[in-house]
Amino acid sequence: MTQFFSSIHTDTDLFEPFFDSGMEESISPFLTPSSRRWGKNVTLKASVFAAVLLLFSFALSFFPQSGASSDLLLLFTYFFAGVPALISALDDLKRLEINIDVLMVLAAFLSVFLGSGKEGGLLLVLFSFSSAMEQAVSTRAKGAIRSLKKLSPRFAYVVQADGTLLARSVRDVSPGTLIQVKAGGVIPLDGVVVSGRSSINLVHITGENLPVVCEKGDAVQAGGSNLEGSLTISVTHTNSDSTIARIIRLISSAQETKPKLQRWFDRVTNRYAMSIIALSFFFALSIPFFSPLGFLGKEGSIYRALAFLIAASPCALILAMPIAYLSAISSCARQGILLKGGVTLDALARCKTVAMDKTGTLTEGKLSCVTAPSGKPLEIAFALEQHVDHPIAKAVCLFAKNQRLQPAQISDFKSIAGSGIEGIYQGEKVYMGNAKWIGGMLGKELAQTEGNETHAFLLIEKNLYLFSFKDMIRKEALQTVKNLQEKRKMEVVMLTGDHEASAKAVAKEAHLKSYHANLMPEDKLRYIIENENLVMIGDGINDAPALTQATVGIAMGKNGTDTAISAADIVLLQDNIDKLDWLLEKADHCGKIVKQNVTIAGAAICFATLPALLGYIPLWLAVLLHEGGTVIVGLNALRLLRK
Amino acid sequence: MTENEHFGEKEAIAHVVEKQVEGIVALSESHGTEMPGHLSAGADAARETAILLFVLWTLLDATSLKMGMVAAILVSFGLGLLVWKAGRSAWLGWTRLERLHRVIEQERHEIEHNREQEREELTALYAAKGFEGKLLEDVIDVLMSDNDRLLKVMLEEELGLTLQAYEHPLKQCVGAFVGALFALLILAFFFLLLPSYGALLATAITLSIATVVSAVYEKNQVMPALVWNLAIGGIAFGVAYFVMHMFL
Repeated sequence: MTQFFSSIHTDTDLFEPFFDSGMEESISPFLTPSSRRWGKNVTLKASVFAAVLLLFSFALSFFPQSGASSDLLLLFTYFFAGVPALISALDDLKRLEINIDVLMVLAAFLSVFLGSGKEGGLLLVLFSFSSAMEQAVSTRAKGAIRSLKKLSPRFAYVVQADGTLLARSVRDVSPGTLIQVKAGGVIPLDGVVVSGRSSINLVHITGENLPVVCEKGDAVQAGGSNLEGSLTISVTHTNSDSTIARIIRLISSAQETKPKLQRWFDRVTNRYAMSIIALSFFFALSIPFFSPLGFLGKEGSIYRALAFLIAASPCALILAMPIAYLSAISSCARQGILLKGGVTLDALARCKTVAMDKTGTLTEGKLSCVTAPSGKPLEIAFALEQHVDHPIAKAVCLFAKNQRLQPAQISDFKSIAGSGIEGIYQGEKVYMGNAKWIGGMLGKELAQTEGNETHAFLLIEKNLYLFSFKDMIRKEALQTVKNLQEKRKMEVVMLTGDHEASAKAVAKEAHLKSYHANLMPEDKLRYIIENENLVMIGDGINDAPALTQATVGIAMGKNGTDTAISAADIVLLQDNIDKLDWLLEKADHCGKIVKQNVTIAGAAICFATLPALLGYIPLWLAVLLHEGGTVIVGLNALRLLRK
Repeated sequence: MTENEHFGEKEAIAHVVEKQVEGIVALSESHGTEMPGHLSAGADAARETAILLFVLWTLLDATSLKMGMVAAILVSFGLGLLVWKAGRSAWLGWTRLERLHRVIEQERHEIEHNREQEREELTALYAAKGFEGKLLEDVIDVLMSDNDRLLKVMLEEELGLTLQAYEHPLKQCVGAFVGALFALLILAFFFLLLPSYGALLATAITLSIATVVSAVYEKNQVMPALVWNLAIGGIAFGVAYFVMHMFL
């Protein structure tokens, strides 16, 4: 059977990314892999090409003998930038939507009739660039969901009546079905353990890297990594109702509700577009009735109305704002801060509260050994733990290596799922494991945790040795919290899925006034919804819904999960949380520049439109005023490039 | 969707056959060959540009226009044709891609929402291949366990589509552009070199090269292909030439 199906090879990257991207042609399963790159950023490539053509067309227009060449290049500019814009505008009109895009396209194409084709071309090129940027942002937004879908398997091993296993699509597994998850596998569906014992890493839900021990009767969630033993699980939820599906739904709905600023901008610009178009029609039809002007000719009402429509197109606004944002984005990139959109900076400037995840954001996200015996016991622990892939084991090995120790000679190594490890040292059995297991052997109760420290125990003959581990707070995070609270007077709060004692200890150490512990992803999301103007900083999958919903989501780029990075608006590429203060200042500065630009651009439109309509200035002067405003705001925006 | 609605009152195997036809239609190459899309488009554009320019030259030669004017008309027409061939090739590629994407989306929807019917189709397909009894059931179980694998099987086995086989429309467009440009440059070169016979020679060279490239890629016999293509070109020229002379 296996041989037969080897011919039906499935490339998991063939269909999933394609459908998740909304059937993007650059990853079409029908295209040869070598030719897919041709489909990447087609809109952006077309925009750049159209811009270059327009530039040459403009340059050639200064030579009278090159008039035809200039017009030919302009024709191609209209083809590459104008046709997609025209299709998009016609789509809007089909839905009875009159928006700024329709106004821009109308102005651009009508400008040809007034002999201002190049100005129209410029509008189309800007429109094309704006569409390309929009497309890039929407592709990135889908990345969060794509990385989440990769987290859980597409099929589960169903335990049949005769005890054999049958792989079935997770969609076909109903609640009550028994499934088996082998060691090293990922739990495909939510359920309850009916047999077996193992350590499960639930980092995607709690954000905590320390695995939890699961045994009969414990609930386990889809997406959890089964680290050690084999588990038989009774499924409790269907695939569409699993934990992963729930997180996907949370992110999707957060993505849909997020762009309040965008919605406001759309509403305002739609009204503006409708007013300008309506006024143009009004002027074209009414001017001859209350003035000596006719309908046709260079002094006619239709010509004047067209001049008004073109002069009123928000070219300066459309150009000036992206330049301000691009300058700020470029400046941030030089500091190792990746911004997924310029509007983020506006939102950041409004924020009054900073919510931080604990593990991996405020802390380093990995355990460090803070208490350990020295000498032979540490060598034995080193020897035992080097066989295991567990955060505690890694911490012990690193600690021993830093002490320049060599592992002791251990034989008959054996891992006890969910408990610890054992081996034989010089003929004697040695054990290293959790408090419950070692305490059980000694007949006494041992503490597994104390504050934000986790314990492990080494038992050699009847001698007990304590190992303590702690997730250390980032040094730079302490200074950042201080700056935010004292210098910028912001409220800083810690949100964590970890338990109360650990959260309290970390909050105290970081001088945080407020914290919330034991939070599930939906709890973090609820907190974000209840608090406006809030920056959320996180790194885990469990932070993704909150990062998406927050006014501004910031992800740690180095330690962060793909899901968190995709969900966030800003990524600190080197986990450089100390740059947060600088970023907030840059956001303030960017906000000021954008306000100045909007004022200048608005004034330029006013000065260009009314005199053009009244015939006080010729169209070329109206266009010059219009473009002059654009140049001024462009230069103003470039100031943001400075550090 | 009920079983009747899904199969349209047909047997599962009849439905499969109908789907295969749909797949073949969707698969049909816009340039009618099995060459890589960009080469196919290039060869096709070169042949068409060459023959159209040659026919135009034939018609212009019968007029009293000066050589400079004839050259200007040929170049202008050739460049216009070049843009048309390149743009049209890209458009055809995108049209095919849109059609294929519609088919894959529909099949995916059926896999997700009509699993029982898909199971029946799969059973009919593999029963026709000779699988039966427990083995057939096992095959279907394995295929149904993974939606991506199932989609691949349905696209290839039921609809007869080939995955990862087509060039991107833009690459195809560049192929057509290069092919048409090649034909135009060859014609311009030979026209300037030998004003009387240059166009004829250039057309023969372009037709020959495009035909040989196509025949080699398709593993067809080169000589018959070459002769047939030159003969078709010759007869096209003959029709234009003699009909023109009927009016003179």
